[in-house]
Amino acid sequence: MSSITIRIPTPLRPLTGGESQPRVEGSTVREALTALESRHEGIRGRVLTPEGELRGFVNVFVGETDIRRLQGLDTALAEGSTLSVLPAVAGGSQARRRRLAALRSEIEEIAPAEVASRLAAGALLVDVREPDEVAQGSPAQAVKIPRGFLEIRIEEFASEPDREILALCAGGTRSLFAADDLRRLGFERVVSVAGGFSAWKKDGLPFEVPRALSPEQRERYGRHLTVPEVGEEGQLRLLDAKVLLVGAGGLGAPAALYLAAAGVGTLGIIDDDVVDRSNLQRQILHADDRVGTPKVESARDHLLALNPTLEVRVWPERLTAANALEIFAGFDVVLDGTDNFATRYLVNDACVRLGIPNVHGSVFRFEGQVSVFWPGRTDGEPGPCYRCLYPEPPPPELAPSCAEAGVLGVLPGVVGLLQAVETLKLLLGIGEPLVGRLLHYDALTAELRRFESSRDPECAWCGEDAETVELNDVAFVCATGS
Amino acid sequence: MIALLPAAIDTRLANVVAEDRLRIPQDLADDLASRSAEGYPHEVCGLLLGRHYGGSWRVEALTQGRNLVEDRREDRFELDPAHYLEADRIAARAGLDIIGVWHTHPDHPAVPSATDRHFAWEGFVYVIVPTRSTGTTATAGEPRAWVFDGRRFSEIEKETT
Repeated sequence: MSSITIRIPTPLRPLTGGESQPRVEGSTVREALTALESRHEGIRGRVLTPEGELRGFVNVFVGETDIRRLQGLDTALAEGSTLSVLPAVAGGSQARRRRLAALRSEIEEIAPAEVASRLAAGALLVDVREPDEVAQGSPAQAVKIPRGFLEIRIEEFASEPDREILALCAGGTRSLFAADDLRRLGFERVVSVAGGFSAWKKDGLPFEVPRALSPEQRERYGRHLTVPEVGEEGQLRLLDAKVLLVGAGGLGAPAALYLAAAGVGTLGIIDDDVVDRSNLQRQILHADDRVGTPKVESARDHLLALNPTLEVRVWPERLTAANALEIFAGFDVVLDGTDNFATRYLVNDACVRLGIPNVHGSVFRFEGQVSVFWPGRTDGEPGPCYRCLYPEPPPPELAPSCAEAGVLGVLPGVVGLLQAVETLKLLLGIGEPLVGRLLHYDALTAELRRFESSRDPECAWCGEDAETVELNDVAFVCATGS
Repeated sequence: MIALLPAAIDTRLANVVAEDRLRIPQDLADDLASRSAEGYPHEVCGLLLGRHYGGSWRVEALTQGRNLVEDRREDRFELDPAHYLEADRIAARAGLDIIGVWHTHPDHPAVPSATDRHFAWEGFVYVIVPTRSTGTTATAGEPRAWVFDGRRFSEIEKETT
């Protein structure tokens, strides 16, 4: 006989009168438990079955070892051993398994090979996996909506309740839950692709590896991603986009900041000016400690501090007929932020020649106007160019610059941001761009008015007979820039 | 390895008139929520260490154990008994008892299931934390506390202190 200490677990202590480690005599585990029963009636029955076997819910350890790995209840006990009675701690919701079984009996499942014929018959394939999974590959025809956004976004792709929807996930489980969600939304014909994308790949069916945002980009542009009109696809378009800002002044500064923040991947800036303290009343891209440095450098530093992943190309020179076409080529949109007529005509002429949309803005004291000049538009009705509206520059005495006329500092901010908005719309291909329309803002009356503007078929630059006109520096010199 | 998180032991608690209530300090409640969310979509589980007077339980520390279930962790858990043994020793050294069990219910309410009842022990308090996906991450909902009388579970008050 050995003297044994038995550790009693909390739930069984009411049976030992609260004692946590009684001592008993015994040479095997069974003997020790029997001895315990003789002192505390009822406890043996909690540990052993009526047949004398260890209950499934209980573990008994000698020292550090489970007696199931020794000789069970016949395990010999040395003098001074400690026997621990441990309640098995287990449980589980069982929810998924039960629910899946129920869903399987209610929702149709098809093999991946059958998807093609369903698509041909008008079905919509929805890949409900998370973006990091889709990034590894997904059927080209599938629209990608993570399950968490399914209810919010499905109607962008399917508005008719009788449209058949095929849900695809990684293994065929989440797609069943997704199909159930869709059913609750009112879609009558929901199907789950059995085996999911793993089965799809195993069956040798075609898929593409879509481009996807990195986790950092996903974090940075999170608020864009939840806007259906932008989303991941739109954000990738912005990252691929190239926008040229002509002038890093009152209009260009706010526009550049927001375009950089929005993730427009390549920003070009041309400006031959240096930062002057009088610019700082409105040109928020620059700072007091940058007075005297070239504006393009000040702009580049500020934009890269805001969004270091951008490519910023700078031209610290004046736009001329000699360099305009070369600089503009390759940009998707040109944002005109000049306040001198020579450059403005040159921007127009080069944009028309290259078919690039010209997002125009201008300000005068308390008024501003915005338009998109784009005679070369192909995805909708083309609009006029700047020369359709103003064939020739005004005489210098009628066209004062900001330096002469003055401007409320925030006004170029308003107008520059309207230009940034138009630029993003063009890049994303959303909404109605201000092509053939001109938006006029009067700060004093707080009025926004929109005017129609139409092409001039006789326009010397974009009209029918315009092919032969050469790019020229307009004979007009403004006293100072904006 | 047991992650034991000590909390101040309120010795005055012995004088509090017992009622069916679980008290859990805020830092432990926060810790419970983050461990639960991190475990999603699997069930995660651990032990509650503390004191128990009549119908009053006070959590002083919690542990997280390995879920031994290999094949269906999304809806089952089984705590490694070696973890229980180690937790029992730590509790004894700190003058505490193992007073109950916590586990999560991924995508399921914080209500004991039939499986939970099957394995339940009278005398333990059971804290169930509901967890669910929020897109790329997961979140833990409000935990609920239950006791088992040998036949059925009943919910007890939970108070964060």
